[in-house]
Amino acid sequence: MKLSKSFAVALAATVVAFGASAQSDPGLTDKTIKIGMFGPLSGNSMAYGFDVINAAKMYYDKVNKEGGVHGRKIELVVEDDRCNANDLLAAVKKLVEQDQVFMLNGGGCSSAVVGAREYIDRMKVPLVMQAASGDGALYPPSRYIFGALSISQYAVGGSIVEFASQYLKAKKIGYINHDDAYGSWNLEAARFQAKKNGVDLSVESINPTLTDVTAPMLKIRAANPDVLLIATYDRPASLLVKKALELGFNKPIVITVNGTADTKQLAANVGNKDAFKNVYTQGLLADVPGGPKLKWVYDMYKSYYPELAAKPGHPTTYMPEGITPAKVIVEALQKIGPNPTREKLADVLANTNLDTGITAGPIVFTPTDHAGQKSAIYMKFDGESETLLPGVYRSSWTYAPIAK
Amino acid sequence: MKKVTLDHVALLAAFAVLCVLPFVATGYVLYVVNLLMVFVVLALGMHVVIGECGQFALSHTAFYGIGIYTAGLINATWHPPFVVSIIAGGLLSAAIGYLIGFLALRMRDIYLALATFAFGEAMQWVFLNWEGVTGGSNGMRLQPADFFGLKLTNDLQAYPFVIALTALMLWLTVAISRSQFGSALRAVRESDVAATAMGINARAMKQAAFAISGAFAGVAGGMYTLFVSFIHPESLGFQTTILVLTMVVVGGIGSVRGAVAGAIFFGIISELLRQALSLQEIIYGAILMGFMMFKPRGLFADRKRRVARPVPQDGLGGGAMKGSRA
Amino acid sequence: MTLSDISLFLQQGVLSGLSTGSVYALLAIAIVSVFKTTDVPNFAQGEIFMAGGYIALVLLAAGVSYAAVIPLTLVAVGAITALFQRVVMERVTSSKGVGVQFVIATLGLAYAIKGLVRQTGLGDTPRSLPALVSSDAVPIGDAVLTRLDIAIFVAAVVVMVLIYLMFTYTRIGKAMRAVGMNPRAAQIVGIRLSRIRMLVWAMSGVISAIAALLITPKVLVTPDIAHIAILAYAAAIVGGFTSLPGAVIGGLVIGVVENLVGLFISTNAIVVAPFLAILVTLIVRPQGLLGGKVQVKKV
Repeated sequence: MKLSKSFAVALAATVVAFGASAQSDPGLTDKTIKIGMFGPLSGNSMAYGFDVINAAKMYYDKVNKEGGVHGRKIELVVEDDRCNANDLLAAVKKLVEQDQVFMLNGGGCSSAVVGAREYIDRMKVPLVMQAASGDGALYPPSRYIFGALSISQYAVGGSIVEFASQYLKAKKIGYINHDDAYGSWNLEAARFQAKKNGVDLSVESINPTLTDVTAPMLKIRAANPDVLLIATYDRPASLLVKKALELGFNKPIVITVNGTADTKQLAANVGNKDAFKNVYTQGLLADVPGGPKLKWVYDMYKSYYPELAAKPGHPTTYMPEGITPAKVIVEALQKIGPNPTREKLADVLANTNLDTGITAGPIVFTPTDHAGQKSAIYMKFDGESETLLPGVYRSSWTYAPIAK
Repeated sequence: MKKVTLDHVALLAAFAVLCVLPFVATGYVLYVVNLLMVFVVLALGMHVVIGECGQFALSHTAFYGIGIYTAGLINATWHPPFVVSIIAGGLLSAAIGYLIGFLALRMRDIYLALATFAFGEAMQWVFLNWEGVTGGSNGMRLQPADFFGLKLTNDLQAYPFVIALTALMLWLTVAISRSQFGSALRAVRESDVAATAMGINARAMKQAAFAISGAFAGVAGGMYTLFVSFIHPESLGFQTTILVLTMVVVGGIGSVRGAVAGAIFFGIISELLRQALSLQEIIYGAILMGFMMFKPRGLFADRKRRVARPVPQDGLGGGAMKGSRA
Repeated sequence: MTLSDISLFLQQGVLSGLSTGSVYALLAIAIVSVFKTTDVPNFAQGEIFMAGGYIALVLLAAGVSYAAVIPLTLVAVGAITALFQRVVMERVTSSKGVGVQFVIATLGLAYAIKGLVRQTGLGDTPRSLPALVSSDAVPIGDAVLTRLDIAIFVAAVVVMVLIYLMFTYTRIGKAMRAVGMNPRAAQIVGIRLSRIRMLVWAMSGVISAIAALLITPKVLVTPDIAHIAILAYAAAIVGGFTSLPGAVIGGLVIGVVENLVGLFISTNAIVVAPFLAILVTLIVRPQGLLGGKVQVKKV
């Protein structure tokens, strides 16, 4: 009966392990606290993961060098989620169950992160997202999930319509977005804002892989708006600005953060300064690109990753977005004190109001709203440099649960 | 006396491992295994249509998606025991597969491949735009499956059912392969003119193959809903079909062993490669090219198939558009 | 919509469609050339096109003058594709691989190229190349095209004519056709199969590189741009998978249809239009617009 004896031992060991972990949360020892990080470290969307995670890593390292949090050093486990829902779920499950992390800090791709919501809720592990807006997982809010630390897509849409109607005095607005999840979020808030401001919205939703933007641009021009708002990713945004010039569309154009990751490259792609006579860009960071407020972040990156910084294309544009969530997490852990638990963390995070100095606005979490960053700055872009415009343009959209 | 073959030993060993796994492994490992089983069933489905019947159907993922959404919607609306949702998904996929099978009657090889590919892409567009039914680009929440009162809320609970369903589909595939029906499919694969001459209804065989592979993919979709709570059309595109095709080809086209081995091999490789970060695509590409260069027939080549042929084997273009061959 | 709106939409839609369609046409020519000669649908064509763009970008970043970048890129891409045929595909043939195995090998190439491109560090941002032709606007009727648009159209037609003439009148071209029609017989009359196949792959690489250098300012190169090959496949099917003039006609048709669908039906439907075109063509007229008559495979 050897088989059943060893089986019984295995069973007993499992029970003991379960019992032990029930006493304190996993990922915690007297000297360390384990944080699971995940993001797209490979594949198409590497830009939303690779350097963002590097930035978070360097910030946690800095905190460790200064003594850690209540005597505990932050230990990191990093997984690649390849920006797709299946792999993200595998990454998260590995971190939670295999690596036994205390909490999660990750997610650069919104649609992938949304897929993990049920699992995270069930396992009751706090998640603070990275570059993802992740709005789909934030409304209705989950106790354990905190996101949009870069900027909520709802805020993107609402704020840009507000800017167009208040600053540019537009009464008729052309709006080009994508037919994906991101697009539906920013459009919903844009429509809401337009209705509130009594402004007409003409919408064209295009596929991100579109090769020829003649059709949507021509239709927008035919609608004769006062302003064109472009809520697409970089490539379509460049193509649209180019096509606007070709078709002789000379009204103001405002491009959302989705398409202004690298304005220098945008100008190079369009290839003609005349296209930028009337172009504005939306930003989510606290300063114009290259501005003084964020210099410390880039200097820190250079000192931590000198070989990487020497390579072309590094750091990628979204790099600073890795620091914001790290700052929020560290501050929350400090607040809890020397005996953190996952439940305490969820409570503390839900009452966050932190100006990290990285994003345009503070990160604000309330028990009913887990979308952190909702402010945007606006700049005039002449093809070479960006000039900050004064004023605050807030999105009015709020979440209203649909009565069933 | 029944011969104890390598297959029997392998199956027994696999069964033993699968039984022990839930007691020693974490939910993460069980998730990976569950997902692997889904791909095994997908690969078996593709084996039936491409391996047995020789019809290049690149629309596989469309039926997978139909299975997922159907099972998910039925579960969310009526909460029947999950077998019902899965069967419904399988049946719907089989029906649509049968219709797509009509394409196989009009064209062959590369043209059939491209036509089915186009259908697959069109189906993904439908998943993405039919918001009322699929949730569109917001994706769809999949409710926990129900089994006579027991709710399947995690990988461990879904595990035995996933394994059981996989075993069932595997048994079905072997049964089909060994039956007269299977022989008829293979006859059509080799030459539908000759098959017709022997009295086989080649047209019916082809459509049956499409329907069966559609059913398999639909069931795989249903299995998926047992342990995953969210689906987005992004995962239901050509990439997935290509992955399954690769599994079947590298495993060994025409052999059931090959389909299973290919699925397991690539499922594990895919998860392992996740650790290789930015090098993973290069490694994956090298693996594909390497296999095709040195073992194109796959890990488990179909031994029943004659290797020596009097006529040089055509490419995917076949002779369909060329002049006659020697 | 007013009548003048409709007229404007038609003119602009058709003209811009012809230009974008020429982009698809160039890639379709590369695909069809390889298919005619080796019977293999190259599933890495988009990645090869992308490689052309990135090789040029890397050279430019290294400080090489654009005048030198152009020939270097053409040579580099041609060499890569020729090498792939010589090293990988020949081995697949000698290992008795058939149809679908060749396709999987091209898929392997596609993944490998994608992975290598990401190592360059130029990855995420969409980039352009110095324009070989300016983007000055040229009004045609109510519509507007750029000089670059017109140049792309001309290039597609010129390339097609040159290759068509080569296939029909030169010895090498005839050899390529012979290899495509009956490799055994071609071998018997002394044609070196491996050399011819290498040449046609090299040619397809060079065409893709030309396309990349010319077209990048119009579509911008990203690690995702390989997606454009799907439209090239649609073009080849609609035009007739074995016809070079068909590839061009097919490309133009797809480009125009995309635009007209976008203008008169909905922007959402643009992306599914090529797939419907593929299905309709294959169901109604499988040989495409200019393909030869479909022949039954001999038993």
